[in-house]
Amino acid sequence: MSDPLRAQLKQLIVRTLKLDDLQPEDIGDDDPLIGSGLNLDSIDALELVVTLEKEFGIKISSSEESRAALASVAHLADFVRSRAPADRVPA
Amino acid sequence: MPSAPFSPPPIRLTATGCLTALGDAASTHAALLSHQRALQLHPVLGRDGGDSVPLALLPQRSLDETAPPNWLAHLDTLGAQIPAADWGSPRLPVFVTSSNFGVGSLYAFQRTRDPAHLASGTPFASVDRIRQHFGWGANVSILSHACVSAHLGLLLATRTLHAGLADRALVFTFDFVSPFVAGGFHALKILNNGFPAPYAARDTGSIGLGDGAAFAVLEHPDASPTAANTLLLHAQSLYNEMHHFTANRADGSGFATCLEPVAAAARDRRLWIKGHGTGTLEAGRLEADTLAQLFPDAPLVSWKGSLGHTLGSCGLVELALAVESLRDGRVPGTIGSEPPFFRDNVAAEPFSTAAFDAVLLTSNAFGGAHAATLLTPA
Amino acid sequence: MLHRHIVALRTDAPGAEDLAATRERLRDAFPRNATRRMTQLGLLLGGVLHDLAPTENDTVVYASVYGETRALEDYLTSFPTPSPTLFQTSIHPSGIQQVLIARQQPIRHFFPHTGQRHLVAHAVQSALLSPSPRTLLCGGEERGTWLLEHDAASGDTFAFALALSSDSANALGSLRLEQTTAAESALEAELRLPRFFSALAQREPLSHAVAPGLILTLSWN
Repeated sequence: MSDPLRAQLKQLIVRTLKLDDLQPEDIGDDDPLIGSGLNLDSIDALELVVTLEKEFGIKISSSEESRAALASVAHLADFVRSRAPADRVPA
Repeated sequence: MPSAPFSPPPIRLTATGCLTALGDAASTHAALLSHQRALQLHPVLGRDGGDSVPLALLPQRSLDETAPPNWLAHLDTLGAQIPAADWGSPRLPVFVTSSNFGVGSLYAFQRTRDPAHLASGTPFASVDRIRQHFGWGANVSILSHACVSAHLGLLLATRTLHAGLADRALVFTFDFVSPFVAGGFHALKILNNGFPAPYAARDTGSIGLGDGAAFAVLEHPDASPTAANTLLLHAQSLYNEMHHFTANRADGSGFATCLEPVAAAARDRRLWIKGHGTGTLEAGRLEADTLAQLFPDAPLVSWKGSLGHTLGSCGLVELALAVESLRDGRVPGTIGSEPPFFRDNVAAEPFSTAAFDAVLLTSNAFGGAHAATLLTPA
Repeated sequence: MLHRHIVALRTDAPGAEDLAATRERLRDAFPRNATRRMTQLGLLLGGVLHDLAPTENDTVVYASVYGETRALEDYLTSFPTPSPTLFQTSIHPSGIQQVLIARQQPIRHFFPHTGQRHLVAHAVQSALLSPSPRTLLCGGEERGTWLLEHDAASGDTFAFALALSSDSANALGSLRLEQTTAAESALEAELRLPRFFSALAQREPLSHAVAPGLILTLSWN
């Protein structure tokens, strides 16, 4: 069964970064987000952080922490689940 | 193919001065020697609150801009130190450098919709305010390249003098913190609630931001008899990696390419280094590594752990402090940092200038921009 | 007197063309996927510099009064949750940096100027003082929206690039700058960027004081 949070995160990535040539379902759960594959860079990562903070009410305080959280969609989902209030995260 | 260095011939540096949160060059230098830290926690968005971040603002200056700008009157103490001349006349050009100019006023306009802020919001409007405030003529060039801005001003002034187009040149720089700038660096996650520790091998990097303004007066080396204690900008080098806006090439080659012409000019000199050292991790490590490799016996300091990063003004603010260090005979250490460091070239404590005969000053900026200046006695 | 030959010239004034249309029109000037975050000014600069092929040995002099106006506008309106991308993009000289970073092209000497009345005079002087075999003098503006309503942005969108050389082979024209103490070099002498662009685009000769003490002569072969 697909993870609704991972699906939501993929939509958020495509929308926030204006990846017009990509469908959310094309992003693999374990694909590296930064660097290879999607060709996103550190500025994209930080832009995502702003959206994530607003969407889920979480706080990412340093560039090092954001890099670790954004290793992949799977990593990011775990990070959001560990930080966000339960009512901000799909079951 | 590697490029030719194109470092201009030496130019005489006849006057410097600066203004920081700790006062003028002499006051700032004395405070740095006693390990005083100017950075204090402030809400990143000023009156609009937000996370607490380390900022070093001029005394009684608010992060929230006024109209006219609240930094303008503060420049009077700095202006009083500039040697009197018909600055801005055709043979006495002024080179103004900044990264942010009056952008705090644009932010204030966006927030308040008070049109009075617009009179200082654009680069040319903010510089024209300063020009009129000091009574300069119209011969004012404006350069803006983030944190290497001041070095560009020095180099362009040098070329202008060597071309015979000027008798003396004034390089002036200013950069004052605002929610526009603090909010941006906070969004980049490098301005957070941690105080900067330049060159320290920590888990998390962080910077501080500080207000800064400074000036330098340059003259052709042949212009008049050499006064005692005259200094030379002996070599100046620039390089722009254009690899990424916020990251350097991982092999440090950008740092090395900028420094190699200056290393050649500094051969046989005993130098100490005023580095860029903002408190970030990756760039700080690359910088410390490259400097240690090229200048293995040179102690490295950064003062941004106290003053914060004064952005576009840092090259000239820190030049003025280096000159003050030479005058005083003591160099302030790297405040806010303690071992372990990236490399053992970092000087945490003050040291005497007696064993040295040159200073290397470096700055770096977004886009992988690098600048280096070698300062020697005339 | 400072003097260089103009050995190449490119101009672009897209009128009311919007960002998406400019991106589509100029996409062949950039590596694939490089234009996603680029501004209209950045795209135009990339277009005019494309076949001039900047190299590390060139000096690049850049001139813009307002820089990345729309990134600045959007960044200001992104508060209280400021956008890191827009912050980065709004900082001068982002437009030309976008191009060079897309090309992964290092540059040794890069002088980004700003200003207004005497911007052209000082940028030209900077370019003519360069000892590089070739200097690329480029610049432009992008039309603002709400900042334009308050006279804090350009009303036009345009970009230009000149290649300058000491070598007269294949020269299109020349650019000269002379110091003068003559009376006509008065305080009101100026040459603004849009006027300079217009002269370039139409190959119009110019010869007049452009700042107190400076006379610029733009001539065409």
